Amino acid sequence: MKTMLNSLTLATGIALLFSLSGTPDVRAAETATNDLPLPFPLIERFENFHVQDGMPTHKVHCVLRASDDKLWVGTYDGALVREDGKFRRIGVEDGLSHKMVLCMVEDKRTGDMWIGTMRGLNRYSAGRVTTYLQTDSGLPNNVIYGLGIVDDTLWVATAAGLGVLNLKTGEWTIYDHTNTTMHEPWVYSVAGANGRVFVGVWGSGILEYDLTRKIFTEYRDPDRDFHFELVHDAGPINDVTSWVAWDEGILWQSTYFGMSRYDGSRWRTWEEKKSPLVSNFINFIWAHGRVAWVGTDRGVSVTDGDTWVTYRANENGEGLAEITRPGQPVETRTMATKLPNDFVLGIWADDQEAWFATSDGLGHANFAASPKSAKVATAK
Amino acid sequence: MKKRAFILLLILVCFASVALWLRQNYWIDHMRQMSGQKSLANVSCFNCHLVSTAKLRWAQPRPHHDAPAGMAISPDGKKIYIALDDRDEVAEADTTSRQVLRRVKVAGRPFGLAIDAAGKNLFVTCRNTDRLAVLDTQTLQETGSIAVGMAPVAVAFCRTAAGDRLVVANSMSDDISVLSVSPLQELGRPSAGREPFAVAITPDGTRAFVANRMVRLVSVKTIPTSEVTEIDPMTARTVRREALESAHQSEGICAVPSRSWMLTPLVKVRNLVPITQVANGWVMSSGLAITDVKSGNVIQMPLDEANNYFADPSGVVVDSSGHRAFVASGGGDVVTVVDLDRMAAWLDKADPTTKQEAIYDMSLSPAYVTARIPTQRNPHQLTLSPDGGTLFVAERLADSVLVVDANNLTEKGRIILGDGGLNDPIRRGERVFTKAAYTFQHQFSCRSCHPDGHVDGLSYDFDTSGIGDNLLDNRSLLGVAGTEPFKWNGKNASLEIQCGPRFAKVLMRTDPIPQKELLDLTTFIKSQPPQRVTRNEDGTLTPSQERGKAIFFATKTKNGTEIPHEKRCASCHRPPLYSVRLSFDVGTGGTFDTPHLLGVANTAPYLHDGRALSLEEIWTLYSTNDSHGVTSYMNKIQLNDLVEFLKTL
Repeated sequence: MKTMLNSLTLATGIALLFSLSGTPDVRAAETATNDLPLPFPLIERFENFHVQDGMPTHKVHCVLRASDDKLWVGTYDGALVREDGKFRRIGVEDGLSHKMVLCMVEDKRTGDMWIGTMRGLNRYSAGRVTTYLQTDSGLPNNVIYGLGIVDDTLWVATAAGLGVLNLKTGEWTIYDHTNTTMHEPWVYSVAGANGRVFVGVWGSGILEYDLTRKIFTEYRDPDRDFHFELVHDAGPINDVTSWVAWDEGILWQSTYFGMSRYDGSRWRTWEEKKSPLVSNFINFIWAHGRVAWVGTDRGVSVTDGDTWVTYRANENGEGLAEITRPGQPVETRTMATKLPNDFVLGIWADDQEAWFATSDGLGHANFAASPKSAKVATAK
Repeated sequence: MKKRAFILLLILVCFASVALWLRQNYWIDHMRQMSGQKSLANVSCFNCHLVSTAKLRWAQPRPHHDAPAGMAISPDGKKIYIALDDRDEVAEADTTSRQVLRRVKVAGRPFGLAIDAAGKNLFVTCRNTDRLAVLDTQTLQETGSIAVGMAPVAVAFCRTAAGDRLVVANSMSDDISVLSVSPLQELGRPSAGREPFAVAITPDGTRAFVANRMVRLVSVKTIPTSEVTEIDPMTARTVRREALESAHQSEGICAVPSRSWMLTPLVKVRNLVPITQVANGWVMSSGLAITDVKSGNVIQMPLDEANNYFADPSGVVVDSSGHRAFVASGGGDVVTVVDLDRMAAWLDKADPTTKQEAIYDMSLSPAYVTARIPTQRNPHQLTLSPDGGTLFVAERLADSVLVVDANNLTEKGRIILGDGGLNDPIRRGERVFTKAAYTFQHQFSCRSCHPDGHVDGLSYDFDTSGIGDNLLDNRSLLGVAGTEPFKWNGKNASLEIQCGPRFAKVLMRTDPIPQKELLDLTTFIKSQPPQRVTRNEDGTLTPSQERGKAIFFATKTKNGTEIPHEKRCASCHRPPLYSVRLSFDVGTGGTFDTPHLLGVANTAPYLHDGRALSLEEIWTLYSTNDSHGVTSYMNKIQLNDLVEFLKTL
């Protein structure tokens, strides 16, 4: 009872502070919103690629800018490499184990590209494709959802466990529900961190593998409920992890029921009804610096956890940029261009550009030089 | 000895008497049950009992010889360094007097050599200890060492914009270590083809080319290809992978200054043609792959003559002007001299189709092969003095280095490293093993299919009718002593029979190897130990390997069900040879001899016809109904554990 009273007192105090000092600021922000800097670049224009632009198929699963600056695109019908403004396709006829490319990761030291497909793992090395199947290697399963490279090991998220290939010795190690705390073997994503690897398991939260101590730590939805977030900011938002991403000490988790962020000590969670997140149904999350790009079934959100911008199409098919700053009303801008499709399956972004893999084409985002220079119509 | 035998016999008689007393057919039942054979015609107690590797020839001490491996010449051309891998030594010799000046111990089978631009440091690949050692050329003392991939055999030094680099070919881990020289550290380890064996750098230092000895693992009915791997030595990134179609056994590579070429000697192999076509020149020939450094296009040119072959091309070197190439024929005991200007002129005139077909035209070589320099046994590595005036030829099985005036191709003399070892039957046998003179028109030697006694990773069509399709996987000769009978059908009771007159008639198409040489040959083969394996340095097993060992020796499945004796791994692959030397049907279409498993990890493909490209495929694709041991109870983790254990044998 005493605790509750203390909490009420604290909440009242905070509310009073906001009421006394906040209102004039909000007004000021409303008038000067466009001038406030954002913690990440704003997209100025989309350039989209469809079948008529050289894409072999409409459905694009993943996209990646390699260290040699070539763009790699994983599609329903093979992988594409964009060189000199043209797409070059790598398909089954080139040795790929299956046409449906689900994920890719580059070994930046050698330039080899590891390609995960619906049936097998492939290493594309200077034009040569080497395949790894569950029948001819230690790969746990042929369905490859995610890939990550940490030092001399390749981490492979598969439909039947996590496979770890030692790139120097060729030894495979498998982690699944029989030898870890994972409740299900459906591993969807891996993300390397400093001395750790985060593993997103569909229906089993997130596992953190400590590379030094060689042990797993489990992060689960605290209420173990698949549909509602009963306990806010107390752990992963849901056990159904669709993707994990890590950069600069921040772990991001996406699920079909919202998303969460973990900085090593504190969790934060977001759902569409309680935050600017455009949709709970999140296919993919990309971390760059301290910012996350969130690919959902209704567009893309980009956020540092406080400020949000969502790119989507409105009911008239027009492109929108919805900017939400802390304590500010949503600023909606109509854009001359838009995502190729709002069902976003993959993202790659840095400080200069962003690429979006969608269910109907590939999108390329050019960033505005600064928020002020965004050549978009502004509408409230 | 006689006393021990008598006691043993007495014990056996006692056992037999008791057993007969117990049950008249005890021993017959026991042998049937344990061997899994209906007929006991080929079964004896010694299939399972009293088998020891300790007394096998390969486990015995053997003489060591002064066989020259890699060579490197000081920048001033005054000294030559020679790796003596069998002695664990590196020798320094004076190039003018041809006298050996110093010999120093370098542990771990030193094999490949390179020297830096200033001539201060000599880099040595140590094949058995997986490291690169640095020797100070003044003192010949080791000043540094670094771990690289498994079984490094070749190293090249180069200068790049980012500093000096070393590129090391790791033959057993199928990768390339790229090292910075100062500090000595590994920058990256890009993958190579299969068994990378030689390295060359372009004159500008921007590219390193690595020749690979074995073909890529592909379906046995596919034309095999080996690879030339191209990397950027500055960044350690892979740039290109050129395929050498229907070719393998490349043990040398060399850049051609001024032409933007890279030359790779190769064995053109036609393993999918019935082997009986030897007499028609259809099985093997020697060639030279020319890789255009800029485009990556490859053309293969023949080195043989229409009715005379120069088998096992290995080392290659090109003079500094780029006019001539020298190629060692390890099986033919010659160094072939190629006029590159003439070859280029022919290529300029040829249309694209003619160029692609050139390798099949044995009448072409007189157009550009200008000489064949005779050597002593088994010329292998070659090197030229910095001024291009002197050619050095490592005569590996003569323990000498031939010194040739490269201008007029006359012999200057030899650097004598040892006595040739002709009193050693093993050495004599190796000379037979590597000699192509025993085959029709000198087309190939034993080594052509069994480099270093191992395998070439191919399946050959052994249909004696000459029309069929009877692919048989080539089996390693390493660790083969004591594993008779031989052949996949188990019909050859000894190596002497295996390598004897019938083999000559079917395969070599010549008179049989004379009896004395045949005995030396089999002595050499029996002296070859199993291939090195992956294991902890202290010999202990990793947890995964331990679990795999338990599976290998399991008598029950994980739910406690008894595994029938004939379906246990260790029943047919019984230690210490991991073979009971009997034939079994493992569901692959017949009854086949049980191969031993010593060094099995590096002998892919598997099963009698090479259909399984990996150990996993034996059970995931071809023996899914417990026809090759009871394995259906295993999950993927357990199968991986079993494979990890097999890698340690």
